[in-house]
Amino acid sequence: MRLIRRLSIPLLVLACTAVPVYWAFPDGLPAARSLAIVLGWAGCGLLLASLLLMLRETWLAHWLGGLERMYRWHHRVGMAAYLLLLAHPLALAADALMDSPRRAWQVLFPSTLLGPIWLGWLALLLLMLGLAATFSTRLAYRTWRWLHFLLGIGVLCSLLHVLLLGIDEPVLPLLVLCALLLGWRLIGEDSARFARPYVVAAALHASDDVLEITLAPLARPVAANAGQFVLVAFFSGAGFRACGEFHPFTVSAVDADGQLRISVKALGDCTRRMQALVSGVPARVHGPFGSFLANRPAARQLWLAGGIGITPFLALLRSARLVHPTTLFYLYRSEADAAFLSELQSVAAADRKLALYTLATGDEPPNLDLLLAEAGALAGAPECYLCGPPGMLAAAVKTLRRHGIRPRHIHFENFGFR
Amino acid sequence: MRRLYLSGTLVFWLLIAALWGAKFWLPEADAPAIAVHERPVSPAELSRHAVPDDCWMAIRGSVYDVSPYLPEHPSRPELVLPWCGRDASEAYATKSKGRPHSAQADELLAKYRLGSLAAQ
Repeated sequence: MRLIRRLSIPLLVLACTAVPVYWAFPDGLPAARSLAIVLGWAGCGLLLASLLLMLRETWLAHWLGGLERMYRWHHRVGMAAYLLLLAHPLALAADALMDSPRRAWQVLFPSTLLGPIWLGWLALLLLMLGLAATFSTRLAYRTWRWLHFLLGIGVLCSLLHVLLLGIDEPVLPLLVLCALLLGWRLIGEDSARFARPYVVAAALHASDDVLEITLAPLARPVAANAGQFVLVAFFSGAGFRACGEFHPFTVSAVDADGQLRISVKALGDCTRRMQALVSGVPARVHGPFGSFLANRPAARQLWLAGGIGITPFLALLRSARLVHPTTLFYLYRSEADAAFLSELQSVAAADRKLALYTLATGDEPPNLDLLLAEAGALAGAPECYLCGPPGMLAAAVKTLRRHGIRPRHIHFENFGFR
Repeated sequence: MRRLYLSGTLVFWLLIAALWGAKFWLPEADAPAIAVHERPVSPAELSRHAVPDDCWMAIRGSVYDVSPYLPEHPSRPELVLPWCGRDASEAYATKSKGRPHSAQADELLAKYRLGSLAAQ
């Protein structure tokens, strides 16, 4: 089963690319023109695969190895499609270049009415602009999301470009499929029609900028386990003005009556606004996703949490007593930022299997070598689980690898969904 | 990934700019031989060349042997092949979505001219 999940995305991408290329594979054409045709169809196939990989469906994420993996591939496949589609007009021009440079230029920029060609250019420019926005880290999330949507319009334009060239047989169904996938994501998922209704039952500050929110289900609850994450959007109500965007949050507790607890740290405009959440605010929940702490082997454990990255470990500690000896490092900027510190200290005092190390790092990156060595945490090559900001994760992986921990014993998930 | 995007986009626009420059700086290749046979072609003779390997078409009063170009035509073969051996002026003027072929297509077509279409 694990092998099927590991191969699922590569096979999906291969199928989406190989089928149209096989259908359109040119016979007896000059090499550059054949290459241009193959590049165009392979690019369209990769765009379709990229659209499939952006869906946020629990069942799909289950078969494709998790939402985080889907997004990683969504980025890779989208970039590969972009590069192939950039090469497509260049190969067409290279073919015409054999005749004359002027004809090569005319192939790219016809002087008279040639709708399909200009639509192809529009598609490329939309992909170019959409990707430029995707890589921009300074844009506000809402602006970023709308600019990212240009990529979807670019996909539709690229297929319309082929359709107007008179090649309607495989393109029309492909176009309908892409439009359905975009509609599914936009109408079904982003506008919360497919998400489960919840209401805020309680909201308590766990630290200065972390709010723990209890969500009560209004219909069948999502079947989340400790350590998984859900996508949650809050809506205006009970005096709260919401931004209505879905954001990923780790489930910090699953209560018996289907209530979920999530912890929201003020990191951006929307999450800052969420710090004012009160009981009675309506919410929608997608998920659950992720298998970060699932299927842990029977071995000593090393958990390393940075800031709000403590939540999956907290959820696990809240859900059951530990079975294996576990060392938990909890790093935070200052005491005021240390959410759930007293609760963790109480758990550690009551559970002999848990060794808790806490450290206020200030603004400097912590010396992980020293920290791990002093605690003797790496003795016996433990299974290492990491959750925290990207900088800390990268430094921790390097440190662990330097100490001889193999990659298969280092586990982490990337919760960035841009 | 960001670096890949930036370098791919940069290389793309540099190549486009190089192609623009090549228009002015590179010499034009010798003009292809046009109109090897300039002779009248009767409708009866035209209709005898109606298969993909031997496909003549009459367009706007001229007859063209488009057999060598057919494999390169972007449309599906079933859209083009029925016009072999016939007067295809109307189809040529109303290709996909009713739009005419471009000036570049006209230029390309001239390479395949055989002669003019005779009345009988």
